[in-house]
Amino acid sequence: MLARVANNLFWMGRYIERSEHVARYLNVNYFSSLDAPNLKSQDRQFVLRSMLFMVGDPEEDPDKFLKEEDVLYKIGLDPTYSSSIINNIKFARENANSARDLISTELYEAINKFYHFVINYPKEIFVKNGLHDFTTNVAEMTDILRGKIRGTLLHDATYAIISMGINIERATQITRMINAKFNDALLSQGGENDKFSKSFEWTTLLKCAESYDMMRRFYKKTPTSITTLEFLILNPNCPRSVMNSLNQVNQHVKILNPERRYNKDSTAFLIGRVRSEYEYKYIEEIDQDIKSFIENILKSLVDISDKVDEEFFNY
Amino acid sequence: MIFAIYHVPFNKTIFMENIENQIFSSYQKNPDLYDEIHDKKGKVKEVYQKLFNLYGEHSIKDYVTLNNKAKSSFFNQGITFQVYGENNIQEKIFPFDLFPRIIDPVDWDIIERGSIQRSKALNLFLWDIYHDKKILKDKVVPVELITSSANYLDQMNGLNPPGGIYNHISGTDVIKHKDGKYYVLEDNIRCPSGVSYVICNRTALKKALFGVFNHYQTHTVTNYAENLLELLESVKPKGVDVPNVVVITPGMYNSAFYEHSYLAKTMGVELVEGRDLFVENDFVYMKTIKGPEKVDVIYRRIDDQFIDPLEFNPDSVLGVPGLFAAYKKGNVTLANAPGTGVADDKAVYTYMPEIIKYYLNEEPILNNVHTYHCSRPDELKYVLEHIHELVIKPVDEAGGYGISIGNKLSKEEIEKVKAEVKASPRKYVAQPIMSLSVHPTYIDDTESFEQRHVDLRTFTVLGKDKEFVLKGGLTRVALQRGNLIVNSSQGGGSKDTWVLKK
Amino acid sequence: MPREFEIKYRTEITYEDWVHNAYWQFLIIPIENDSQHDVEVEFNNSLFAITEYSINGYGFKTLRVHPKKKFKEVTFEATIKFIKEDIDPLKFKTNFNIALEHEELHKLDFKINHERFLKATPFTNITATQDQLYSFDVSISIFKNLENLNHWIYNYVQFSRNDIDKGTLLNEVILNKKGDCKDFAHLFCALARINGIPTRYVSGYLDRTNGFKGDSQLHAWVECYIPQIGWKGFDPTNNVLADINHIKICHGKDYNDCSPLKGIVNTQGKNKTTYSVTLHSCNS
Repeated sequence: MLARVANNLFWMGRYIERSEHVARYLNVNYFSSLDAPNLKSQDRQFVLRSMLFMVGDPEEDPDKFLKEEDVLYKIGLDPTYSSSIINNIKFARENANSARDLISTELYEAINKFYHFVINYPKEIFVKNGLHDFTTNVAEMTDILRGKIRGTLLHDATYAIISMGINIERATQITRMINAKFNDALLSQGGENDKFSKSFEWTTLLKCAESYDMMRRFYKKTPTSITTLEFLILNPNCPRSVMNSLNQVNQHVKILNPERRYNKDSTAFLIGRVRSEYEYKYIEEIDQDIKSFIENILKSLVDISDKVDEEFFNY
Repeated sequence: MIFAIYHVPFNKTIFMENIENQIFSSYQKNPDLYDEIHDKKGKVKEVYQKLFNLYGEHSIKDYVTLNNKAKSSFFNQGITFQVYGENNIQEKIFPFDLFPRIIDPVDWDIIERGSIQRSKALNLFLWDIYHDKKILKDKVVPVELITSSANYLDQMNGLNPPGGIYNHISGTDVIKHKDGKYYVLEDNIRCPSGVSYVICNRTALKKALFGVFNHYQTHTVTNYAENLLELLESVKPKGVDVPNVVVITPGMYNSAFYEHSYLAKTMGVELVEGRDLFVENDFVYMKTIKGPEKVDVIYRRIDDQFIDPLEFNPDSVLGVPGLFAAYKKGNVTLANAPGTGVADDKAVYTYMPEIIKYYLNEEPILNNVHTYHCSRPDELKYVLEHIHELVIKPVDEAGGYGISIGNKLSKEEIEKVKAEVKASPRKYVAQPIMSLSVHPTYIDDTESFEQRHVDLRTFTVLGKDKEFVLKGGLTRVALQRGNLIVNSSQGGGSKDTWVLKK
Repeated sequence: MPREFEIKYRTEITYEDWVHNAYWQFLIIPIENDSQHDVEVEFNNSLFAITEYSINGYGFKTLRVHPKKKFKEVTFEATIKFIKEDIDPLKFKTNFNIALEHEELHKLDFKINHERFLKATPFTNITATQDQLYSFDVSISIFKNLENLNHWIYNYVQFSRNDIDKGTLLNEVILNKKGDCKDFAHLFCALARINGIPTRYVSGYLDRTNGFKGDSQLHAWVECYIPQIGWKGFDPTNNVLADINHIKICHGKDYNDCSPLKGIVNTQGKNKTTYSVTLHSCNS
């Protein structure tokens, strides 16, 4: 496979995955906050700020009044904002375009339909009452795309590259959400019922990651900071966890480079190293300093992505 | 909304009402034009009868529904070309007409043999003008034609392309004149495009109207890629066992990018851009995730001037530095060969009957539009007397400049043209005004079928001791009434073209 | 008596900004022919990038360099050694029919065989009135005519060194009556071709120890095809026939075919290039 095309496929995977998480974050935060148990979590301004924080563009001025329509438009459909959902999908399609000869017709057609859906979504409807419809559709279409990727591509290097993109992005986005919600939980703690560890934000976080039901089934208790983080970071059986994503990346890199020789400069080595670090971690170790733990994960993920770039796409 | 269902069977059971030929009821036949589906008496030709009946059973409304579904299918598949507007880029589909064109086996035989004949003659012509130049020395073709051509590449002089093939892929534009005969309008032997539309049109028609295929024995068009690959492999460089073939494209913003990716995909080879390739010690490699991989045959969809910035246009970012040296050393095959453009010039076209005769000692199977060379006194006389029924073209102008169409000129204009031709007869040639045949085509604006001019581009592939003509081809339709220009950038559409089995 | 030459060619290029991707192609190796042989080349660059020995589209030897790392400045150094025979340029048979010789020029086969060096190019194009500048005399031999043309150009154009690499169009040269060796050669090509003589532009080195005029880097002269004699070299800049002091690299229709250095360099901002060529002959 051409190095340039591999790069395109990798980023196609990342953009597809990214658009889903951003869409779901908007959806869940917006709608679950409507009847949140405490005033802070219900506050519109608080929710909008959380959204901006998650996409990496936090509003620094604490006194600024944010207009709901502006924020939603910016993150959803603003073609001039590079991290908007519409641009994620545009980039996904552009990357798919240059790898068009390698991906299946079915996959390409699904991406193309997705693109036309987003590009033609009326802005007025979106900011007034289309948020639910739009974000649900985006999330569903990314599911279709993942289905097409799994079901219509040969499970060879092409598939491995796309899957690595998807999983590195998933781990990154989950971590970003944890970061955003950790921040929200800190900000929203107050009265007797609003302790950090029992914050309503942990439930929201799990819903953003589509993991609430799984988590309830596993712990059979109301989520706390510890159980939520343990589940989303360390539990390898949770399909959205950082651990699970790392395990998948680890499997896929072996398709690209099946070499078993000791090579500490390889991507496989780095992934294995990061993976084993989290595999045998106690959540209690993390709980002491969540902030730097999150920073560490993000850094590791960036390092892995850079390493992939260096080993496979560098030309 | 998004998931269009286009599998609507087009058969009798759905449509209970059966009004006599509803959709053709307002079809108007202009007796001056050659209508491909009607004979001279206005009766539907036998070969179209079944199709005519099948379509005629339905209302325009049904047809419109199917038409829209076919359109959205093209759109979703991304079979589009880009139109650059003032502040945005629009994606458009190449308009597609659901009423197919049928070519019977007798006619097809002429077209196929004629296309091969022309491609072979052009190939021999190219070999000759880049080697001994016998045809020039024998005064069959004037030397100025070649030496004054901007497309003649000095670098190709004396170079032997692998397998002796220059024009691996040719597109021959054929029309049916009102005399019922086929004429060639143009040979395209640089990077002829359109073949992917042939296959997409067939796919779309099959999806929309699979019922009608039961009634006709039509040749498949999906075998193009395998034939192309086989022929490209046959012209591999010396010493290569299993050649590594790639398709090179200018990139995804090129208007024909869909076709490039389609061909790469269906041949199962890599689609590369210039930046994916590099030359080392006069061999060509592509950059893969596992390091460099040698490339042996390049099907190029980049013009001559852009293939190698060290040898040709230095500003080209599409090409590969050093590629031409690798080619000259015989380490890589380029298809088509550089420098083929010299042979599809308008001026060379006028000599095609002589060229065919010279190299193959055969009469041309497909007619050339007769060309009067004003440099020859008796022909000049004829031209001056018949200017009202001729097209006057300057020899050295490309792109349709300076063309006068006799029957559209006023009296004063005719005199003016006459004076110009008389003053410098060597500069002009004249041809009879050709009347392209017409075919019933669905027109959105009037919601009815109307006569529209059509042509046909055939695709011929030449390999080492092998040749292949795609049994189909691209029927292009001039969608504007009376327009003779059938080009996608000028509001042209296309039709599926059925070549019937014997 | 053959001479052993050693040429040192050096180019230094500095760029304002980082260069991430570059290709260079040098056309500086002397051609091997009757009078030049045993060519040895040593080529180095300051980036330690690999040198590829290849050919260009006309079959002349080239050196290609494609560094894999980014850089801001680069130096290329070539040391070229070879042996040059001293062949008398006037040594050819002269006893043939002058009329037949002129007649040969008008034959179609002759025109077709030499088509490449008979056509005008952007650098060798002159207007209808300018082609009256110099006309041939059919009563004397073609060789003599060309010698006269050589002399005429030498007197008509005043030599002036030009630092611009690109070459000048003939219109300007004729108007100013000034030019460098490229312009002399282009004018010669134009006038000889108009008179039906296949003429090619030659790029090479010049041993200037004898006081010859020429650029400090590469020199340019021409070669004409004379029926029954073959290709003969004329140097209008110095009003001589090409001899042991003229070391040929390559020929072409004009300068564009012979440009000694072509670069495809991906960078922003300006660059500065300096060249130097030193020529040393060991035993003369």
